[in-house]
Amino acid sequence: MRGFMVVLRKECTDNIRDRRTIISSFSLALLGPALFVGLMAFVLNTALGSSTDSVALTVVGSDNAPQLVAFLEQQNTEINREELEDPKQAVIDGSHDLILVIPETYAARFSKGQINSLPLIYDSSSIGKARRNYNQVRDMIRRFAQGIGFLRLQLRGVDPSITAPVLVHEVDTASPAARALTILATLPYLLVLVIFMGGFYLAIDTTAGEREHGSLEPLLSQPTSRVQLVLGKITATSIFGAMSLILFLGSLAVAVPFVPLQKIGMSLEIGLGASLGIFLVALPLIFFAASLLTVVASFAKSYKEAQTYLTIVILVPTLPLIIAQLMGVEASPLLMLVPSLSQSTLISDLIIGEPVEWLHLIISAATTGTLGAGLAWLAISLYRRESILI
Amino acid sequence: MIRVEALSKNFGEVEAVIDVSFSADDGKVTALLGPNGAGKSTTLRMLSTVIKPSSGNAYIDGFDVRQETMAVCSRIGVLPHATGLYDRLSARENIRYFGELHGMERDPLEARIDSLVEMLDMSEFSDRRVGGFSQGQRIKVALARAIVHDPKNVLLDEPTNGLDVMATRALREIIHGFKNEGRCVLFSSHVMQEVTNLCDDVIIIGQGRLQFQGTLDRLKTDTGQEDLEEAFIRVIGAQD
Repeated sequence: MRGFMVVLRKECTDNIRDRRTIISSFSLALLGPALFVGLMAFVLNTALGSSTDSVALTVVGSDNAPQLVAFLEQQNTEINREELEDPKQAVIDGSHDLILVIPETYAARFSKGQINSLPLIYDSSSIGKARRNYNQVRDMIRRFAQGIGFLRLQLRGVDPSITAPVLVHEVDTASPAARALTILATLPYLLVLVIFMGGFYLAIDTTAGEREHGSLEPLLSQPTSRVQLVLGKITATSIFGAMSLILFLGSLAVAVPFVPLQKIGMSLEIGLGASLGIFLVALPLIFFAASLLTVVASFAKSYKEAQTYLTIVILVPTLPLIIAQLMGVEASPLLMLVPSLSQSTLISDLIIGEPVEWLHLIISAATTGTLGAGLAWLAISLYRRESILI
Repeated sequence: MIRVEALSKNFGEVEAVIDVSFSADDGKVTALLGPNGAGKSTTLRMLSTVIKPSSGNAYIDGFDVRQETMAVCSRIGVLPHATGLYDRLSARENIRYFGELHGMERDPLEARIDSLVEMLDMSEFSDRRVGGFSQGQRIKVALARAIVHDPKNVLLDEPTNGLDVMATRALREIIHGFKNEGRCVLFSSHVMQEVTNLCDDVIIIGQGRLQFQGTLDRLKTDTGQEDLEEAFIRVIGAQD
């Protein structure tokens, strides 16, 4: 055990002093949650919006239809009365988002019972609230027109329902919460990436780095068994992976309260208990990642070569996550056999507070742990061969 | 005490070392000479257990380099071709790491590092990180690291490579010191002049085969050359 501890301590001290390692290992862990929260907040604020927010509308010629304008104001619309030369250009220029134009002929046509066609100008290609606001105002005007129409029919002694023999009643099952969940589903993906990034440079430095600097040969002529030597290196890599995950979870706990989830009546709280649960579920994956990175980096003769290999390796465990997300895979014992996929499934359940099955936990930990041990053994046998030096 | 018996090594088709036998005694400095690519490094690497002989064997203090690698490792100190220091560790930390890998206890290890720092005149830079060291400073640290566990046998692979005159001279004194302490020193070189004032025995390898083993005087008489460089060339040339 002594050699193991000596190697472990040396690799940690050595790499903590390397700025490149620190930046690479921990930047994603620290900044990832901020990015994630930013994305969540943006989606929730703009695409979904809030029904309590008032709609800003510029009305040109508001004096021509005081009744309509008053109706719109009652419907929680912020009316901005303005006289514009060229309202269309104002929208193109971007100075206005949504403009309703009421022509001077409105009142006259209205009292004669003729159709009034009102331009409602907006830019559907703009990101943000324009389309939502347009839809809301259009619906309001429709309701206003319908109300007037019904009154006119009633005055003539006709039942208004005769004009609407068939009605559509919209039932949308996609709640805002569900839409927020799709974004939430990227969190385990990010988490797996954070674990792999945490050990990325250490795996290179302790293997290909030693080869490149010529320090591997004297190291291998020390009376320390290859088992202790390689396990010390893999454990150091695991520790960096774990530190990266802890930083990520801490950073996430700070960032999550900034997501305006209460707007959609949802609460997301990744407290200490959930964080601890996530950490424990991810523990075998941390070891697996460290072993995988170490084995692959051991084949490389230089830093650059190892970087190239590992960049591809990182794609491998994240690929099944993307496929699973597209296919909407549910947790099952079979799924638990796959490292990274099993952890991310379990972790997404932990995040949204769903119960996790013990059987799943055990299968996930056992298979990932065993595969990690197999890779560690492969790394040890690589270091037993003299070709590691040639 | 190093004993090499009919040692051979081939890398695929390439025969790097062919049937080499020699011995190096305690309290003596033995030079392993040969042109570039003669098989010097390969021989030293087999002695330090990092590569396995294809056939034949070698013994360090009687321990088999194939089978008893742990015992061999604790009896040798190796200065490889590249110093292979860790740039982000200080000189002391580099030495300490190997001392710990040899299983040395804390107090004796620190005392040993102190004495090595003094002996190799490293006090000025011993607490600085190795990153910015000169080649001479690096060799000193690597030497101290190689002998931190006080090994009886010291293997040096072209130790004077890249050293200036002063550093070479300092190294020569260090090697003399090893000899006086009763160690068995085996060092490789391709520069004949380097060994004249330093070594007791000479082993010359050319094209993977042993060409000569004996004292410098015998080398001169055998070849009939007063000049060592001429003698060296004569011995190697005999093969071609």
